[in-house]
Amino acid sequence: MAAKKNDILQGTLGLLVLKTLASNKRLHGYAITAHIQRVSDQLLRVEEGSLYPALHRMEQEGLVRAEWGLTEKNREARFYSLTGLGRKRLLEEEETWTRLTEGVGRVMRYA
Amino acid sequence: MSWFERAWNTVRPGRVHRDLDRELAFHVSERADEREAAGMSRDEARRQAHLSFGNYTSQVERTRDMNVSGWLEAIFRDVRLATRTLRKTPAFTATVVLTLALGIGANTAVFSAIYAVLLKPLPFPNGDQLVKIEQTTPKSQDTAVAPPRVEDWNRLNEAFQAVMGYYTQDDSELSGELPEKMKRALITPRFLQVLGIQPMLGRGFTAQEEKFGGPDALIISERLWRRRFGADPNVIGRTLRFGRVSTPIVGVMPSSFLFPDRDVNLWAPSPMDAPYAQNRETGWFTVIGRMKPSVTLTQARANMATVQESLKKQFPKSDGELSVKVEPLKEVTVGGVRRSLWILFGSVSLLLVIACTNIAALLLSRAAGRQHEIAVRFSLGASRAAVIRQLLMEVLLLALAGAAFGLLIAAGASRVFSSLSRDLPRIEEIGIDVRILLYTLASALGATLLCGILPAIQATRRELAGSLASGSRSQVAGGNPVQFVLVGVQVALAVMLLAGAGLLLRSFQELGRVSPGFEPQRVLTFHVSTSWGETSDPKASKQRVNRILDSVRGIPGVVSAATSNFALPGTPVEYQTDLELIEGRGESEPKLRAESRSVTPSYFATMQIPLLSGEVCGDEANPPTMMVNRSFADRYFGGTAVIGHHLLRKQSFIPSTEVRGIVGDARETGLEREPVPTIYWCYGAHQPGTFFLVRTSGDAAAMAETVRKKVREIEPLRSVYELTPLTEHISEAYAENRLRTILLTFFAATAVLLVSLGLYGTMSYLVSVRQREVGLRLALGAMRGQILRQYLAQGLRISLLGCVVGIGLAMASGRLLAEMLFGVTPSDFVTLASVVGVIVAVSVIASLLPAVRASRLEPMQVLREG
Repeated sequence: MAAKKNDILQGTLGLLVLKTLASNKRLHGYAITAHIQRVSDQLLRVEEGSLYPALHRMEQEGLVRAEWGLTEKNREARFYSLTGLGRKRLLEEEETWTRLTEGVGRVMRYA
Repeated sequence: MSWFERAWNTVRPGRVHRDLDRELAFHVSERADEREAAGMSRDEARRQAHLSFGNYTSQVERTRDMNVSGWLEAIFRDVRLATRTLRKTPAFTATVVLTLALGIGANTAVFSAIYAVLLKPLPFPNGDQLVKIEQTTPKSQDTAVAPPRVEDWNRLNEAFQAVMGYYTQDDSELSGELPEKMKRALITPRFLQVLGIQPMLGRGFTAQEEKFGGPDALIISERLWRRRFGADPNVIGRTLRFGRVSTPIVGVMPSSFLFPDRDVNLWAPSPMDAPYAQNRETGWFTVIGRMKPSVTLTQARANMATVQESLKKQFPKSDGELSVKVEPLKEVTVGGVRRSLWILFGSVSLLLVIACTNIAALLLSRAAGRQHEIAVRFSLGASRAAVIRQLLMEVLLLALAGAAFGLLIAAGASRVFSSLSRDLPRIEEIGIDVRILLYTLASALGATLLCGILPAIQATRRELAGSLASGSRSQVAGGNPVQFVLVGVQVALAVMLLAGAGLLLRSFQELGRVSPGFEPQRVLTFHVSTSWGETSDPKASKQRVNRILDSVRGIPGVVSAATSNFALPGTPVEYQTDLELIEGRGESEPKLRAESRSVTPSYFATMQIPLLSGEVCGDEANPPTMMVNRSFADRYFGGTAVIGHHLLRKQSFIPSTEVRGIVGDARETGLEREPVPTIYWCYGAHQPGTFFLVRTSGDAAAMAETVRKKVREIEPLRSVYELTPLTEHISEAYAENRLRTILLTFFAATAVLLVSLGLYGTMSYLVSVRQREVGLRLALGAMRGQILRQYLAQGLRISLLGCVVGIGLAMASGRLLAEMLFGVTPSDFVTLASVVGVIVAVSVIASLLPAVRASRLEPMQVLREG
């Protein structure tokens, strides 16, 4: 099976979720996938199978907090928002990511 | 998520599951809406949405794993599995739980007594500051302190916050229908201050009330307050009547306050400025001091020595030979029972170890039966640690259940202790509290490790785990050395317990065989209330006592009657005095020193102590007369020469007294002690606490009511109390002895029972795993008798080895018991031989059944079944 181009690189899902939640106050899981897809111009597609375990792991680590609420269509959904700890982690991961892409970029250019 | 929520999720996995379901269902329906909006049919949209989600259930599970902390869930899984496994074998479970309940329960019970009696501080604030201050002289054992000295000690010391004294006497309270005996503590100022306890109702005594001739006042005990006044909150100001005087109650002490002892009903001031309280040479106080917070016992001792040194200079006549002893009050109160309790604790702990060893052996057999199950779990990927954890969890559950039942046993401990030994100090403080609960929990955990670790390690060994492949057709099971070692250990420990119990029992028996030199049967004893004040008129006192004795002698069924002051024959009370011989005595001859009793002349007839020579004394006061026992006459006068001599007690008001005769040796100071040189003053005994002794022709206890009525007729204003047969007093005096003998015997019997069960279980197991081997041997021509003998011998070999080790242990630990033995040595041959006999007999019985079963196997059947 050929690798899907729009699969999210292992380990970056957390960063994407954190970033998404940083720019939007409260989102449910579905909205997070929709947001990532929309903003990346459909380049990235979030696998549902990875999203929820990731969200729950982040909740346990105290990066996000979750609460039940109603959507505009009056459906019950679980809304996630960023905690202070999550904000701090986002900054760290952004930095790591920048360094990683820069490093990878240099290797790609000169190797 | 907080740890609490996580733990909650573990306990209630259903809730997490439902939440996740809801969240993921929401996602699916949003996705379906989107597809539908893009023009898909509704059903197709839902199907697609589900598909895009992949394996829904595994999603739920993967997400859930994020929530539930792994180890906690593993433990709960272990608990559930263990419960299920244990429920499948109810007989095994019940046996183990019961064994542990007995082991842990008995252990907790004895520990609760040790904790309450020995470890807990006395029930006073900063109880470790309290000390008893005693005066000692090389001459007499009279340790009661004179009032001026109490005050001097209090005034001159620098180590104490305060020093106080007290004494007790029995009074008759007359406001009720019948005179009621009440025990009164007479206390110096500072009594409550030193003890640090205030009345729960009313107040302590005022300075006015503590003065001679000041207003009367009483503080009563909580128990008296409930009994006589129905716990009336307005009791202050009501009165109790003693003699002609009604005395108002000014305070009620709290129920936990049981000082000087648990029988005290009331406290009253003893005026230190009374004219009769100014003599330094006669004393009546027991003295207690509270040390200053920073002062150590050594400093307090040094300080009191200095204080007494200066008193010695100031009052050479009265204080010249006195020295002072300072002991912690707790030590004085409970020191006597320390050894007994620790020995009991040691034996009950041995019992718990035996129980655990027994269970370990059971678990080993059980684990062998579960080899297959364990092998399957290994092959499914369980780690060794996980399997061991699972096996230990089963044992832990058993131990916890055992501990829970054990607590029920321990809860009754206080009652058992008080029924076996009424005089055990602080017995009312024995109970279950948090510390005892923690102790029980700790013993359950300890028992789990002790019982479970070895079997768990054995059961999970690799070779055994390989048994999945080997199936069950192997012909001969290997030896089971571990199980046999365990049985041997049990036997050894049980022998140790049994030897201890045997020695105590033999001592008890020996004590019963002693001929005490007096006849304790068919003697009724009682007290008639009187106060110390009345002793100032000895003539009236003597008349009163004689009147009572005469009227009692008139009762049909009474053979004779007498009194004896403060000590009953055969009970451990000592009162040594130094004497002077008026006729003079050479410097080189041994000093005259004798145990001393005050009795009426009728004492010897009543106690059936034979007159050996001379004549029985009379009770005339002038000149007074006395008797001596044979030991006294032989030791100091070489026989009858003593008759007609005059003895004088040093430092006393009694005039010189003529020796009239010699009586036989009686064990006055306790059944277990050899008679010592003893003198009997015959001017009578009429102080508070004097025992009346009545010899009856029939059962003594049956006469009690008749005697009570008769005394009441002539002494309506006095109470008659503690009508008790002498034999009961004597047995009460040995109650602690009885307590440890009975309990140790009980522990030893339990141990033997456990050992026989253990041996039986192990032998049965051995026979069952060797069925095929036996069958084969029988088929090849072995004799049934041979098989029987072989298994019997195997069982006996283990227990004999255990006996040898156990006897060694018993001899080594016998020193601990030595002081408590009477008439036997710790290595008493008869006792040890009977112990071995018992163990061998039990072992034969326990291994006979399995051995017979082995010898009766039907070879064909066994081999075919295999």
